[in-house]
Amino acid sequence: MPDAADFIRRMPLLANLPKDVQARISRRMIRRSYSAGETIFIEGDPGRAAYLVAEGRVRVHRTSRAGREQVLARIGLGQLFNTVPLFRHDARNHATAQAATDVTVYAILREDLLRLVQDSPELALVILRDFAERLDHLTNLVEDLSLRTVRGRLARFLLVHAKEGTVRRQWTQEEMASELGTVRDVIGRALRSFASEGLIRMDRHRIVLVDREGLESESDS
Amino acid sequence: MAGCVVPYIDLESCTRCGVCVDVCPAEAVVMGLAGPEFSDPEACTYCTLCETLCPEGAIACGFVIVWEGDSRRGADGPEGGVC
Repeated sequence: MPDAADFIRRMPLLANLPKDVQARISRRMIRRSYSAGETIFIEGDPGRAAYLVAEGRVRVHRTSRAGREQVLARIGLGQLFNTVPLFRHDARNHATAQAATDVTVYAILREDLLRLVQDSPELALVILRDFAERLDHLTNLVEDLSLRTVRGRLARFLLVHAKEGTVRRQWTQEEMASELGTVRDVIGRALRSFASEGLIRMDRHRIVLVDREGLESESDS
Repeated sequence: MAGCVVPYIDLESCTRCGVCVDVCPAEAVVMGLAGPEFSDPEACTYCTLCETLCPEGAIACGFVIVWEGDSRRGADGPEGGVC
């Protein structure tokens, strides 16, 4: 695990900042580790820090009073999270962050981040770019949740996740539901329906995508 | 190997209530000394009923998403229980 200064230099998001700005940021970074499943911060609590992921993956989600969960983002190596609340007047975390795997992060306390941004227009631009990407991501999520049916969202999810990476991760139906803004039963029904229509094949622990054209057409619905 | 994958049981969260043993339509689960275990893994059909009804959320039936004919790493191998 590299030290904070070394990590900043390797991280594309901050690698192009002037060296003195990088040095000042690294002096303010506090390393923290979380085990898989551990909560990093809770929605509604005071936003005390922004975080950079140095190792592992973080899941950011909101939960309804009825316990229904919507995943807002999955944050990986070199990505920032919880920056937005720190710039809000009430500075409350607007979601809950949980370690999806064992995670190491660098925390930057709110007061330190605000001071650093005031002193460095280059860092302010980095944060703005990150905000823009976040806004873009959330706009796409709103489109998915409001304009696509659950079948459409599920078809798109299957197409995206069958392509990603060389090592497959596993998804429970509950996790798929949290990603797609619905509940587990609905996912189960949609999967059975896809299987009966020949779009996919359920092969024990494998969801085998059979009909690309059919799934692509479904993903537009 | 694909036929041998069984649901993952988190024995730390499990309270040994026995619901999974009672509901398994294939009678593939028994209550062992440490908690539920698959006595007949090949009989398990991965129907996900145990996951659905476990009151502690201690059972996970994970799925990998693959294309027909995909033989890449991970397409067959699960993280959870393997018999």
